[in-house]
Amino acid sequence: MLGTVAPLQANLSTVLVQIVILSSLYALVALGFTLIFGVGGVLNLAHGANITIGAFVAFVVSSQMGYGGFVGLAAAFVLTGLLSGAYYLGLIKRIQDEPIMVMIITLVTAVAVEEVIRFVYGSQPKVLTLLSGRVNIGGSTVTFTQLVAFALSALLIVGMFAFVNYTRQGKALLATSMSHKGAALVGIEANRINLLVWVGAGALAGAAGVFLGSIQGASWAMGRAPLVLSFSIVVLGGIGSIRGSVLGAFVVGTLEILTVQYVDSSLTGLTPLLVLVAVLLLRPEGLFGRELVEA
Amino acid sequence: MDSDEGTTRGRQVKRRRFLEATGAGVAGVTLAGCVSTGGDDGGGGDGGSTGDTDSGGGTTTGTASGGSLPDTVSIGVLAPEPSSNPIGASIANAAELAVTQLNEEGSGPEFEVSVKDTREQPDEGRSKYRELTIGEEVDMTTGIFTSEVLLAVLDDIANQQTVHMTTGAATPEASARVRDDYESYKYHFRTGPLNAYQLGVNMIDFLEAKQSDLGWESVAVLVEDYEWTKPVSQALDDEIDRAGVEVAMQERYASGTENFTPIYDQVESSDADAALIAMAHTGTPAVVQWAKQQRPFEFGGIHVPMQLPSYYEATSGACNFGVTQNSATPQSEVTEKTVPFSEAYNEQYDSYPVYTGYITFDAVKQYADVVQQAGSVEADAVVSGLEESSFLGTAGTIEYYPPDNEFAHDVVYEEGKVDPVFQQWQDGNQEVIYPDDLTTADYQKPSWL
Repeated sequence: MLGTVAPLQANLSTVLVQIVILSSLYALVALGFTLIFGVGGVLNLAHGANITIGAFVAFVVSSQMGYGGFVGLAAAFVLTGLLSGAYYLGLIKRIQDEPIMVMIITLVTAVAVEEVIRFVYGSQPKVLTLLSGRVNIGGSTVTFTQLVAFALSALLIVGMFAFVNYTRQGKALLATSMSHKGAALVGIEANRINLLVWVGAGALAGAAGVFLGSIQGASWAMGRAPLVLSFSIVVLGGIGSIRGSVLGAFVVGTLEILTVQYVDSSLTGLTPLLVLVAVLLLRPEGLFGRELVEA
Repeated sequence: MDSDEGTTRGRQVKRRRFLEATGAGVAGVTLAGCVSTGGDDGGGGDGGSTGDTDSGGGTTTGTASGGSLPDTVSIGVLAPEPSSNPIGASIANAAELAVTQLNEEGSGPEFEVSVKDTREQPDEGRSKYRELTIGEEVDMTTGIFTSEVLLAVLDDIANQQTVHMTTGAATPEASARVRDDYESYKYHFRTGPLNAYQLGVNMIDFLEAKQSDLGWESVAVLVEDYEWTKPVSQALDDEIDRAGVEVAMQERYASGTENFTPIYDQVESSDADAALIAMAHTGTPAVVQWAKQQRPFEFGGIHVPMQLPSYYEATSGACNFGVTQNSATPQSEVTEKTVPFSEAYNEQYDSYPVYTGYITFDAVKQYADVVQQAGSVEADAVVSGLEESSFLGTAGTIEYYPPDNEFAHDVVYEEGKVDPVFQQWQDGNQEVIYPDDLTTADYQKPSWL
């Protein structure tokens, strides 16, 4: 009896609450990755490293320096964003037209960041504290930290929509994502837009890292799973589409919870990949693939 | 695989038998290293015997065999990431500390130690093992935390015919090999922890003995789905009936699980009083989510990360009220050697050892004791010396099951020998709540219950 991995089977409202909470966190995790992929056209394999950096910045600021959880969150948001921008200017900018080089460099960066974190902080996980306390919603227990993650994620997603659709900078960003040449022809400086995107993506990843560090613990290898997750979500949703990524995050989050609850928890990692294969076969451009036009 | 310690108690073992012996036996014992040495001495006070009431105060360890000891005895240590992983660091540092103490005592040959990093990878472990045995020609090896690494190295141990004393990996597969093919595998000993089956038995013993203090009438059994927990699950299946608790739910959850909300919701709805756990790799998200979500059930069993003395700080106190089995804690006087070792370790390395440190320290000291008694580092002499040895270490009195036992060459789990403690984190301290003669505090329910 103990040998079997049994499904859990909770009731519907519990499952819905779990889906919303988990998916919004996943959306936050994937958003930065989709931005860089969509606008810059490069695959940033150091996205997971940004998540790790964010978590450890928050750990240093909130736990070691004693400034508290929210200062740590703000520091992670700002510092990871700045670091990501500096990384773009220092390294990526000069090789951004060579996708293979970008993949290699970002992969090397990801490994290097892991090794540095492991060297400095050891392999023992750290846990961040944002808020203590919990509420019961629809039969499922939700911590205040998860609620903050949900609220912030929703806020950032709405903010991003507004930015892209209603500001000049945002429209320029959208234009660049559609066609570099076209954007250049109307006087949009792609490098500035790219810098903006890298800073924004880093900041989002930093915040996601704080929530992951607070919910699951922060360790040197914590960026790996989110990177794979982001990849699935982004391909599912349609490369470069914010709407698609949010939807992709909900599809992946829903599948994960449903698999744990009703099928078999050991298959959790597999189901999103199966869906990914199905999407690639049936609708290779992703759910919102229209937005990907390239040049 | 990895990990954990515990005590094993074979079913045939009588649990209460040795309590009174411990104190008496311990008092007369000398440190392993201070003992006489040399090949010609076999009788004098060996270090380590002790605690064994049957022996009438003498030593039970080997006899002088007339061999000759080399000037230098080299010990190879296999540790996972000793520079960053506290478990690996404890293995490496404890071996070095043991050797330093042996050399300072200066009564025997010069001991030296060579540390290699297995990186928890079977192939890496195997090549490091060969470097040690073929390249450096060490006289014995110790360490190995990961069961997969141990299984990969077992055949090499047989081929090299070099004594290996495991101090971390818990797979019972190793002892089964010793029993099934003694001539080939007799060089393997497990100084600790208990093998994984006995770890499960030890949990049941704890539940049975502490039932009235814990007040757990029903439990939800949560076990992570890794190789090392299979024997643990088997032991729980076999013996949980005698613990007198109802099993409200059983979940063998997927390896790599990071989101425990669905599982904990289910535990809540099962109305279990406590989660009875076996966790190593997934332990941190599990305990953090239990504490932060203030789940209305208690939490205890085997939780490897909680054994680390620095864990409270690392989790910002999230492990408070969690219970886990452990070989020893820095303040627990499992034997008279426990606290002096943890203090010496802290002085030297500025941190307290993890359980693998106690076990490795014991392995090196016991080995030194046996070779000095036998007067030889020749493998067959050492194997029979270890089989007969009864050595007072920091984690208990170390003896090994005989070759025909189902757990051949594993450390004997028995009260008065090796009998792991159960600790509870209480406001930053690892308080021992079991066994009764070592308790430093009473069990406390989580503050939110």
